[in-house]
Amino acid sequence: MASPLTRTSTSGTQFLDPAVLGRIGNLQLLAKTVVDGFLTGLHRSPYLGFSIDFAEHRPYMPGDDIRRIDWRLFARTDRHYIKLFEADTNANFAVLLDVSASMSYGSHTLTKLDYARYLAACLTFFSSKQRDRVGLVTFDHEIVDYVPPSMKHLDTILHKLDKAEAGRPGALSGPLLQITELLRRKGILVIISDFYEDPETILAAVGPLRARGHDVIVFHVMDPHELEFPFEEASGFEDLETHEQIPVIPAKLRDEYRLVVANHLETLKTKMTGNRIDYTLLDTSKPLDLALFQYLLARERMSKVR
Amino acid sequence: MSLTFLVPLFLLGAAGIIVPIVAHLTRRQRRNVVHFPSLMFLEKIPYQEQRRRRVQHWFLLGLRALALALLALAFARPFLDDSEVGLAASGGPREVVVLIDQSYSMEVGNHLEQAREQATQVFDGLGPLDRASVVAFSQGARVLARSTSDRNSLRGALDTLEVSSGATSFGPALKVAQTILEESTLSSGEVYLLSDFQRIGWIGDEGVRLPVGSTFIPVPLGEDDVEENLLVTDVLLPRQTVSGRERVTPTARVVRRGGSSPREVSVALDIDGQEIQQQSVTLAPDAATAIVFQPFTVSRSHTRGTVRLPSDDLNADNEHHFVVSPGAALTVLIVEGANAEPNASLFLRRALEISSDGRFRVNVRRATTIRPVDLAGTHAVFLNDVQIDGGSAERVRAFVEAGGGVLVALGEAAGWPASAADLLPGTIGPVQDRLQGRGGRLGFLQYAHPIFEVFAGPRSGDFTGARFFRARAFQPSDSAEVLARFDDGSVAMAEQRFGQGKVLVWTNTLDDFWNDLIRQPVYLPFVHRLTEYLGGRTEALPWFTIGQIVDLASPEALLTAGLVSSEAAGLTEGLDQVALTPSGTTIPLPAGEGHRYLPLEEHGFYTVRPPGSEPERPFIMAVNVELEESNLARMDAEELGAQLMAPAGTEARSLNIDAAASLQREDQERRQSLWRWLLIAALALFVAETAISNWVSRKGAGARVAVPG
Repeated sequence: MASPLTRTSTSGTQFLDPAVLGRIGNLQLLAKTVVDGFLTGLHRSPYLGFSIDFAEHRPYMPGDDIRRIDWRLFARTDRHYIKLFEADTNANFAVLLDVSASMSYGSHTLTKLDYARYLAACLTFFSSKQRDRVGLVTFDHEIVDYVPPSMKHLDTILHKLDKAEAGRPGALSGPLLQITELLRRKGILVIISDFYEDPETILAAVGPLRARGHDVIVFHVMDPHELEFPFEEASGFEDLETHEQIPVIPAKLRDEYRLVVANHLETLKTKMTGNRIDYTLLDTSKPLDLALFQYLLARERMSKVR
Repeated sequence: MSLTFLVPLFLLGAAGIIVPIVAHLTRRQRRNVVHFPSLMFLEKIPYQEQRRRRVQHWFLLGLRALALALLALAFARPFLDDSEVGLAASGGPREVVVLIDQSYSMEVGNHLEQAREQATQVFDGLGPLDRASVVAFSQGARVLARSTSDRNSLRGALDTLEVSSGATSFGPALKVAQTILEESTLSSGEVYLLSDFQRIGWIGDEGVRLPVGSTFIPVPLGEDDVEENLLVTDVLLPRQTVSGRERVTPTARVVRRGGSSPREVSVALDIDGQEIQQQSVTLAPDAATAIVFQPFTVSRSHTRGTVRLPSDDLNADNEHHFVVSPGAALTVLIVEGANAEPNASLFLRRALEISSDGRFRVNVRRATTIRPVDLAGTHAVFLNDVQIDGGSAERVRAFVEAGGGVLVALGEAAGWPASAADLLPGTIGPVQDRLQGRGGRLGFLQYAHPIFEVFAGPRSGDFTGARFFRARAFQPSDSAEVLARFDDGSVAMAEQRFGQGKVLVWTNTLDDFWNDLIRQPVYLPFVHRLTEYLGGRTEALPWFTIGQIVDLASPEALLTAGLVSSEAAGLTEGLDQVALTPSGTTIPLPAGEGHRYLPLEEHGFYTVRPPGSEPERPFIMAVNVELEESNLARMDAEELGAQLMAPAGTEARSLNIDAAASLQREDQERRQSLWRWLLIAALALFVAETAISNWVSRKGAGARVAVPG
């Protein structure tokens, strides 16, 4: 059985290509397409039924958790059946989306913000299908939009995501602190950002959320050019947030840049993991599947924990 | 000799040397801006630009700077200035050309002797390295000594100078001077023009341009104007035949230029060297008169005549020479039909008889046959509306082939035997009436033809008044030349050359039956010209003018020259001849094919005869001077100098030495053309620099690749 993490479904992957998704104007349709396609592509449905409301029985299939076999029914019928339950509607799910100016960068058809919006839409849609209460917070150096988690807020969230624009300088600590105050009920928090701050600062901002008991999933969105620094011509590089310029000869700096970035990412990952925060680095040129699987893994782990 | 620049301002371009240096040191990255999410990581990388601020390849920089400097130097057009040497008139070798006027006006006031003295002074002033040429000129130029430093030969050339009979023309002499100076290797040139500077010698557009930097020095001779000058401008020689003898009445036109009071002038007429008449006439200042001498009988061929005036300052124009010979009458045969009207040829006959000098002898034959005896001694034949038989046509053919002329006048009865159809310039057609309106007229005449050329000028005879009511149609052949057409385009007169003679067809009658041409004033001269043309008579020239050339091998030229002497007939047969010039020089005219040109350069009588013989009446040609030369009005010598130098953008050096020096600098620069070499060197440096810098770059790139990490 192939692992979900290594899944490379041909039809699914092709369909989930960010560049292709960019052409779908409607976020809801996009999210539905992604999620449905994603689910259809799975051979089993191990993630249904995390709630306590009985829904139906289905025959046991190899690979199903044996803890979920209905032994009583087995006693009656001498066959193994699995109990399925209605989804849990009590879980809170919120996306914390960074809309600072740096997120507007994109070296190809999609900017980081576009990618983040698709991801947020997909996750929200997915969660909504799981009967979670979904919410959204967009922020730069302060909170821009806040949609409190609710069963009915899917459309609002998708609309807000559709209208989200990057423009102002960003800072994590301020808005995340505010969010800590806003979201008092434990839930799943997905932070999508490019995290252009020191790892210590980031951790200092994210840590309180984790300390509140939220399950924090961090998606670090990076453009391939940010990772690879493939520029050739000597140019002036302008910061999208501060508009500061410095002259750069990329050929001379590339190696050092890559090293610095790699160190940063490594530090970030280490520190996040150390704080039991799920950290995933997303390359905007890669399909969204990876992010979804990451999320589902987290959900599964949480359900196990629960 | 020093290095100088023609355009030193371009040296400022050398400042361009600092351009590559400054560019190298100050050039920033191109300002294309890359928007990047954050400079957080970039700012963590230490980076400095110091490396750019250091010159790494001094050699390449030096090459670039040198190439730019050479470029600026080339544009400044450097040259080695030796103008100080060249401009010092006495310091450097000179090419001196002395032009001496020897036209006949130079005999006035002993001008030629003055010219000799002036030329001698010029030669005395020559430096040891100077060279000089002597050119004598009148209408043409003759180099007596060319570019020599030998004083003796120069003085010897001066000794040969004599006054010629030619008129003044500066153009040829100045062109010779221009050529000598252009071919000279010496640094400077001087042209001395020794002349009386007659205005007629320069028409102003001779195309002479002395080389830049050369000096034109006019030396006017005989500043005093001539008080008065007598000259014979023309002599008319009308002839009359009295009692069978030809008499000529010379009429001379005498002009007196200048003078202050009326003066009695004695005019003499010499015939064959003997003064036969003398007349006195009183001439007012600036007046002219015609003197009519008593007629004299011309009984011998090539009779020499001279109208002489008394001596004055300018003698060449005091004599006017001419040659006359007895005119030979043309024998004309008019053939009319046996049944023709009695007066069919009346008008034609009368017209030929109306001639004061008895030029035409007319015979009339009323028959359709022409006997050989009829044609013997005949020059021209008129077949007036007659149909001759085939035998007669063959005799006419022989007559024409031998040089005779025949006119076939086509009337009602005219015809032509088919056996001799090729003799006619076409085919005879039927009679055509032109009775509509007022009849036909002559619409086209070939005025270039000898018959009609005298009528070409205005008021020289009008053929359009004549009306033609009937004519014979005529279809000209390909070899025929149509001389006249009626206004409806039909042929009026056509000609065909046959052998040495010619056959003309007149598609009308020669009486007043079909036309009224006989009542027109042009009829008489037309018939005379027609007959003279048929008879091959050419007007002999009584005299020639200096400068003309006679081809003694050309029969037409000899006829024009009035050759009638049987003793001199050897000329037409191509025998050896000699020509004796008026000054007594002998010019051999050897026998042989081709032309035998005799240039007429002296005024007086040229005698042409077989060598070693003394014929009684040799062939003689009279030659008179060009009378324009008698006009002694002077021109401004400085004006002439200005015209010689002006188009080159400068004046004579004596007038504007700065301009000359400037031009000389340009000339030196042009000759040296150092800029070409500098430009080549600069380009070579640029190429070398490119090659080396590429090599250095490749080497540097290779080194970087080789370093791991």
